[in-house]
Amino acid sequence: MVPPPVVTGLSPNDGPPGTRITIRGENFGTKATDLVGNLMRINQFKSNTEWKSPSKIIAISGPGKGLGDVIVSTKVGGVGTCNVKFKGYKNENIGPMKDSAVWVEETSFYPWDRHSLSSSSFQQDDPLGLSVEGTERKLSEDDLNEKFPSASGDITSENFSACWFLLENHLATSFNDLQAGLLHLKRKVEGQKEGHLSFLKTNVGAVMDQVDTLILLKEKYGSDLDEFGSEPTLKLEKAIKESEREARKLYDDVLTRRDRAEKTRNALNVLSRFKFLFCLPCSIDRNIKKGDYDIVINDYMRVKNLFLKRDIPVFKMALNEIERCIVGIKKQLHVKLVKMPIHVDEQKRLIRYLINLDSSFEPAWDAINGHADYLHSRMKQCYEEHKAAIVEDLNKSKNSNLSSKYSKFAAMHDTNHCPQNVFYVEEMCDIISELFPDIWKLGQSYFTGELHVKVEPGHKTAFKHTVLNIMEVFCKRLRAAIIPHSLDRNTDRNTYEAWTLPDIDVMAVYLPDCLRYVRLSYAILVKLDLPSDALDIVLAFISDLRIHCMCVLFKKTTDNIKRLSKQEKWKVEVSGSHNGITDLPLNFENAVQDLIQVIAESVLKSEAREGPLGESTSSKRIRQTGSSDDDDDDEIRSPIVSQLIGTPSFVYRSRTHNQKPAWEHRLLMTLANCQYTMNAVLKNIVEAFSKNGYNISPNIIRKSRTDLENLERSILESYLEQKSDPLVGTIEPSMYLGRFDWDTNITPTDLRPYAKECINNLIHVHFEVNSISSKLVDSVLPQVVQTIAEELYRLMSCVQKFSTAGIQQAHVDISALQEFFQGYSTPKAKDHFKEAMELIPPLKQPDLTIVEDILQKCRTKMRLQVLCLQKS
Amino acid sequence: MSKKPTVQPALHKVIMVGSGGVGKSALTLQFMYDEFVEDYEPTKADSYRKKILLDGEDVQIDILDTAGQEDYAAIRDHYFRSGEGFLCIFSITEDESFQATQEFREQILRVKNDENIPFLLVGNKCDLEDKRKVSFQEASERARQWGVPYVETSAKTREHVDKVFFDLMREIRARKMEENKANNGRGKDRKKKSIKCVIL
Repeated sequence: MVPPPVVTGLSPNDGPPGTRITIRGENFGTKATDLVGNLMRINQFKSNTEWKSPSKIIAISGPGKGLGDVIVSTKVGGVGTCNVKFKGYKNENIGPMKDSAVWVEETSFYPWDRHSLSSSSFQQDDPLGLSVEGTERKLSEDDLNEKFPSASGDITSENFSACWFLLENHLATSFNDLQAGLLHLKRKVEGQKEGHLSFLKTNVGAVMDQVDTLILLKEKYGSDLDEFGSEPTLKLEKAIKESEREARKLYDDVLTRRDRAEKTRNALNVLSRFKFLFCLPCSIDRNIKKGDYDIVINDYMRVKNLFLKRDIPVFKMALNEIERCIVGIKKQLHVKLVKMPIHVDEQKRLIRYLINLDSSFEPAWDAINGHADYLHSRMKQCYEEHKAAIVEDLNKSKNSNLSSKYSKFAAMHDTNHCPQNVFYVEEMCDIISELFPDIWKLGQSYFTGELHVKVEPGHKTAFKHTVLNIMEVFCKRLRAAIIPHSLDRNTDRNTYEAWTLPDIDVMAVYLPDCLRYVRLSYAILVKLDLPSDALDIVLAFISDLRIHCMCVLFKKTTDNIKRLSKQEKWKVEVSGSHNGITDLPLNFENAVQDLIQVIAESVLKSEAREGPLGESTSSKRIRQTGSSDDDDDDEIRSPIVSQLIGTPSFVYRSRTHNQKPAWEHRLLMTLANCQYTMNAVLKNIVEAFSKNGYNISPNIIRKSRTDLENLERSILESYLEQKSDPLVGTIEPSMYLGRFDWDTNITPTDLRPYAKECINNLIHVHFEVNSISSKLVDSVLPQVVQTIAEELYRLMSCVQKFSTAGIQQAHVDISALQEFFQGYSTPKAKDHFKEAMELIPPLKQPDLTIVEDILQKCRTKMRLQVLCLQKS
Repeated sequence: MSKKPTVQPALHKVIMVGSGGVGKSALTLQFMYDEFVEDYEPTKADSYRKKILLDGEDVQIDILDTAGQEDYAAIRDHYFRSGEGFLCIFSITEDESFQATQEFREQILRVKNDENIPFLLVGNKCDLEDKRKVSFQEASERARQWGVPYVETSAKTREHVDKVFFDLMREIRARKMEENKANNGRGKDRKKKSIKCVIL
């Protein structure tokens, strides 16, 4: 059983009928429909009651007067009880002139209002007709209740108490007034008793007036009826309706205008409040023009944070607008990002913007790819430009060839022209050293997370592949330009069209330059800390280039040396240590030294620098270059040899030319050159090679030496042939001149003329050799002497019979020759002399003295000749 | 209409006074119904009555929540006459309301004509410490001058809300017992007097 409702609070606790009362308490039901009603005084009402909560309802007070319980009844709890009382008081007509302690409700909304006003009998305001003001002091209701229990001041009440009424209403009224009131009341009562007649009597004047007025009204109405018809109010009604409509229209008009104004104001309000949002597209445009992307991004972020979650369509529209703007910016930025050329810092900034803008694509990766593509295109472009230049040059050179018939200058100019290949290489190197660092840096910052991007897993290998690809393409293009033969025949030749190489002489001049360019680029790449496989590609190229460069240089030098022979002027240089040499060996040495210098400067010097980069590879490479150099060295040497060998044949041909020295002299000069080359130049070259860190294998030196020796020998032989053949040939005829027979009886008195001729001839040779180079004397004369001795031995062995005088003569001749040629006699020559002596039969003592005497005579006679052949 | 409770518990009539908007109704509603009313609606005059247990004794408290606005100043006399104890409320965030307590105090003393009427000075809204305008010392000083207790309350957090009502009721009860004693004493005296009169 639910307990009955209890009222514990009223707010307010008094008021005239129609007061809105908040009733608080307990058990007012659990829902609005539980409420049956509340009982306040005598009025039961539910319609004016509002259920708020189980402890609160709001009701309108009824037309009761005085203290009363407020009873709430519910369906389940039944009729409740009340702790506090409500005091209703009469609704006094409080005029504008009257003081009131309470708030006067001016709106009389309660339904019985009209009734109470019309019914004068229901509540007689002032039965005594004294019209007293109600503000005077009153006895409190409690007091009256105490004094008159079970009575009431209500006139209509059954237990009406006159005393109560008087005390309540006329407490301050004077006795006279009360008497007058009594009279008034009495009169009224009497009047009621007398009936209508007396009422009319008393009011006859007024009644007459009323009748007159009525008649007048009727007449007026009658005349109006005639004038305006039976419905006089129709027009009025119409007019009223019209005006009402007008008024409504006006009202509506005003209302709509007001609405519109309101709306506009609201819109303006919203606009000014969210000025930031609505102005953003504008400010974005402005900032983009200024290039302040940072501000744009910042603003965009702010807007996104502030408005993205709001569902207001206007914001959405604005956001869409901004979003469109931003998409535009993103595209613009992306285009900027991919557009080359661009500085890497600028690019990084753009990437940051794009990332901040939450771009859908991958800016960093795109940038890298863009860079790589750009690099490729640049390389291609460069290639095409230079190809075109070559074609142009070709055309020009054709023209110039045509015109070169007329002007030599054009042709000269053409040969001196630097080949396009070199320009191409230079530009390619520039491109790679300019653009590649950007790619690499970008890639590094991309992968180290410096750009605040999530790195796609596949990109690392892709990037590496890109880098390697760039290197590959770079190297292959350069290979195609400079060393096309190193390209892979099947695959690369097609993609990278091999260049037509210019003349090797031209190339040799520029190859070191090319190498230097490539080196510079490589140094830049090395500084970038590239992975070794990328560097290896370039390194391989460089080493190939170096080898090629070296080959070319060697070849060129060889050619030059070959050509040296043609420039032989046969002018004897008289230097301190080496006599009789021409400038040929010096020129050769200079050429080789120059070559070594160039190679050392360009090729070898860097070998050491690059060595540490990859110990194994570079050492292998050194070996490779070394081996190739071996070949080159051979190549160098052989032409020297052939040149020197070739000299005699050339000399033969030029024999008739008078202005050149005699060919025997030239032979001797060549011999001197040869010796000088072998002794001095070769040593110098070997030294120079090894000094520049170029290991020359001893085999080469040995081979060169043997070559030189062979050459020398052959020259010597040919010279000896030239000299000793006639010399030796003359011995026999002059020996047997004048039918001389070794079996003669003429005792010898002097040397035979053949011996003297022989001595003189030798002296002539000695002079000839000595005039070219005194050094050669030692190597030439002994050979001559030997052949002479040999000839003598042959001649002696041919003699059948010696007479004593013949024996003496032979003894004298041979001994003299033996003695005179002592200084230049080889052991073999000495043997021959001895054997020749032994062939002659021995002499007896007296004969020996004769021989001694003759020899003694000869020595004194031929003192000058002996002096010539004596070694200094 | 015959309302005859068998044992009517003691009824203590408490009147809430103070300037408008200091929280009289809020305090009352918090005490009566444990609810905190956020929206402000000026009171005219509200009555509340409920049974409570005061120190183990069933008593009824009748709270008259009066209007703070000056508009109703004229009818205050009428209310004050029926009051047995007063809670004089001011807001610690509003110095004016504190100054107004002086006026209320004087009016009550004039109507009741009793210096020792049960009276508590209450500083409400003590949860709004950061907006405090009336210092605790200042208020306690005034209470000391008047010889009444000073309590700070918060209708929002219910801090000291019960305390002020219970303290006041204890004072009222003590006062009533004193009066009863005095009445009885007088009665005795009167009896004695009459006896004396008879004797005389």
